[in-house]
Amino acid sequence: MSYAEALRLALRRLRTNPLRTFLTTLGVIIGVGSLVALIGVGQGTQTALTSRIAGLGTNLLSITAGGSVSGGIRGAAGTASTLTIADANAIAKLPGISAVAPEMSVSSAVIVDGRQNTTTSMTGTTAAEALVRNYQIQTGTFLTDLAVSKGLRVAILGPTTVANLNLSPAEVVGTNVTINGIPFTVIGVTQPKGGSGFSNPDDFVFTPISAVQSRFTGAASLRTIGVSVTDPNKIDVVSSEITSLLRLRHQLASSTSSDFSMASQNQLLSVASSTSATLKNFLIGIAAIALLVGGIGIANTMLVSVRERVREIGTRKAIGARRRDIGRQFLVEAIIVTLGGAVIGVLIGMAVTGPVGNAVSVPAKPSLAGIGLAFGSALVVGVVAGYWPARQAARLDPVEALRYE
Amino acid sequence: MVVLSVAPAAADSDLVDSVAEQSAPQPPLLEGRGLTRVFQMGDAEVAALRGISFKIELGENVAIIGPSGSGKSTLLHILGLLDRPTDGQYLFAGVDTDDLDDDRLASLRNRAIGFIFQSFNLVSGESALDNVAAPLVYAGVKRKERSDRARDALVRVGLADRLHHDPSQLSGGQRQRVAIARALVTRPALILADEPTGNLDSHSSGEVFSLLEELQAEGLTLVTITHDQRIANRATRILRVEDGLLTEGDREAPAYLDHAERTRP
Ligand SMILES: Nc1ncnc2c1ncn2[C@@H]1O[C@H](COP(=O)(O)OP(=O)(O)OP(=O)(O)O)[C@@H](O)[C@H]1O
Ligand SMILES: [Mg+2]
Repeated sequence: MSYAEALRLALRRLRTNPLRTFLTTLGVIIGVGSLVALIGVGQGTQTALTSRIAGLGTNLLSITAGGSVSGGIRGAAGTASTLTIADANAIAKLPGISAVAPEMSVSSAVIVDGRQNTTTSMTGTTAAEALVRNYQIQTGTFLTDLAVSKGLRVAILGPTTVANLNLSPAEVVGTNVTINGIPFTVIGVTQPKGGSGFSNPDDFVFTPISAVQSRFTGAASLRTIGVSVTDPNKIDVVSSEITSLLRLRHQLASSTSSDFSMASQNQLLSVASSTSATLKNFLIGIAAIALLVGGIGIANTMLVSVRERVREIGTRKAIGARRRDIGRQFLVEAIIVTLGGAVIGVLIGMAVTGPVGNAVSVPAKPSLAGIGLAFGSALVVGVVAGYWPARQAARLDPVEALRYE
Repeated sequence: MVVLSVAPAAADSDLVDSVAEQSAPQPPLLEGRGLTRVFQMGDAEVAALRGISFKIELGENVAIIGPSGSGKSTLLHILGLLDRPTDGQYLFAGVDTDDLDDDRLASLRNRAIGFIFQSFNLVSGESALDNVAAPLVYAGVKRKERSDRARDALVRVGLADRLHHDPSQLSGGQRQRVAIARALVTRPALILADEPTGNLDSHSSGEVFSLLEELQAEGLTLVTITHDQRIANRATRILRVEDGLLTEGDREAPAYLDHAERTRP
C-alpha cells in the first residue's frame, strides 16, 4: 500500500469519529499553540530589552559615585559625595572620549504649570547629555552650551512628563513652570524612547547643571557622570584609564577600593540578553512539556485503536495486507492527527501571541523559527507516538487476530 | 463484467508460470502431506491437526464437516496461507509453501485466495464499495480501476443499489454478499469459507450458497466449512475432520452430525 493510499485510508478513518479525532488532536493543538506563542513572547522580551538598553546609548560608560563592595562595607551607590564637576572635566581631557556629561540629580521635583503639576526626577547636566544618553529632541531645543555656562533657568521635559501635565509637546515649549518653587522656562521636549512601567525612561526634567547647583537641596555633588566613548570596542581601555585617573584624583592608596563604580552598556546588554534567553528557554521548556503530553495522548489513543481494530487487522491480513501495509496505515494515521493538530495549533498560537505579549507588556509577534520548531517537533512526536502502536498492529498474527473476540 | 477466470490469470502469476514450466501433469491446486498443527498453551500442547494428507484439484467444490473443536478452522487457515503447519508439507499450486516468506504468502492470499468468514468481517465506517475494493489496494490497483471492479463485483452479488451503504446499514445476508464480492474482486482461483451461513437465517443462507455455487460453476475452487449436512450434500466432495484427522466423507448423514447440530452456535 502506497503512502497516498495509507493517507486516504487514515483520513476516512479519522472522519468516522470526529469527536475522538478532535480530542486526540487537542493535546497537540495546545502544545504547538503554546510553543508558537511562548517563543514569540520570549523573543519579544529579548528584542524589547536589548533595544531598550541600546536606546540608552551604546557607547555609554556610566560612572556612579560611591564604592562597590569594599572589605564587606558597601556605601550606597550615589550617596557618597565623591564625584565632582572637576572630575568630569578631567575625564573629558582623556583620549578616546567624545563627550562627558556631569549629572547632578534631585530625586523629587514637583513641576507646576498653571493648575497642573507632576512629580518627577530632575537632573542638572550639560549639552553633552543628549549625545551621551542618546536623547533626540522632538520640539524646541536641547540644553545649549550658552544656557549651561550662563546658568539659565531653562528646562527640557521628557514626553511622559509632558503628558502627565496634560499638555502636548507643542503647547509646553515656551511656557513657564516652577520646579520645587523655582521658575524655569521649558525650551524643549525629547522624543519618546519607549517602554513603560518601572523606571520610565521618558519621565524626567533636565536643566543646566549650573542652574541646579546649590539652588536645590541635595544638589551639591554629582551622582553620576555619563561618558560617551569614541569607539565602543575600546571601552575597556577607556574605562581602566578613567579608573586610574579618578583614583589618582581621589588620592586612593592602591590597597583601598574605588569610591566610585563604572558600568558599560555592553555589560548591561549581555546580562540582559542572557537573562532573557534563560526566560525564553524556560518558556519553550514549558511548551515542549505540553507537546510531549499531547504526544503521549496520541500514542495512547493509537494503542486503544489497535486493540479495537484487531479483527480489522486480521481481516486486512487475510485479504493480502503485508506487515508493512498495516504498520504504515497506523503510522500515517498518527502522523496525520499530529500534523493536523500542529496546523491548528500554529494558527491559534499565531493568533494569541500578540494578546499574550500585551498581557505581559511585551511587543510579541510569532516568529518563523518558532513556527518551524513547533511543526518540526510535532512531526517527531507524531512519528514517535505512532511507531509503537503501528509496530504492534503490524506484528499481529493473522489467525490470532481473526479469532480475537 | 466480472471475469472469474481460473488459475493462470488468477493465481500469483509467476508462481503459476513456474508451475506450468514444469510441464508435468498439472499439480493439484492444494496438497497436504502429513500436516500437523500443534498449539502451545503455556506448558501444554494442543494438537489441532495430527497428520493430514489430501489433494484438492482446481475447480472442485469441497465441503469440510466435523464436530466443533475438531480442527476444521485450523485446517482452513493453513489452506488459506494464514497459518503454517507445525510439521508436514503444504503445497499451493505445486509449490512448497515452506519456501515462501510472509510477504509472499500475503501476496498469494491477495491474488489467489478469497476468504469468507462466519462473522462477515467487514470494516465498519467504510462503504460496501470501499470494503470490496480493499484487496485491490494491497494489489496496487489504481483507484479508478479499483472502484470499477468493486462495483462490478457488487453488481455480481446483487447489491448494485447498496454501493455506498455502511455495513451497519445492511442485513446479515447482504453483509455476507458484500464479503463474497470482496473475496472475488481479485479474481482468485480459490474461495475459502468458514461457516459462511452460520450467522444467517435459512433464506439468506440459501441465497449465499446459491451464489457460491454459481461462482464455483464458473470455474472457481470452493472449500466450505459447514455444519449443515444438506449444504454439505450439495458439494462435489465431502471431507470429514474428526479429532485432528481427515477422512473422505460421503453424502449420508454420519452419526456425529447430531453432535455437530447440538453444538452449532
Ligand atoms: N490459537 C490457538 N491456540 C490454542 N489452541 C487452539 C488455537 N486455535 C485452535 N486451537 C484448538 O485447536 C482445536 C481445533 O480448533 P478449530 O478452531 O480448528 O476447531 P473447529 O473444528 O473449527 O471448531 P468449530 O466447529 O467450533 O469452529 C481446538 O481444540 C482449539 O481449542
Ligand atoms: Mg471453526
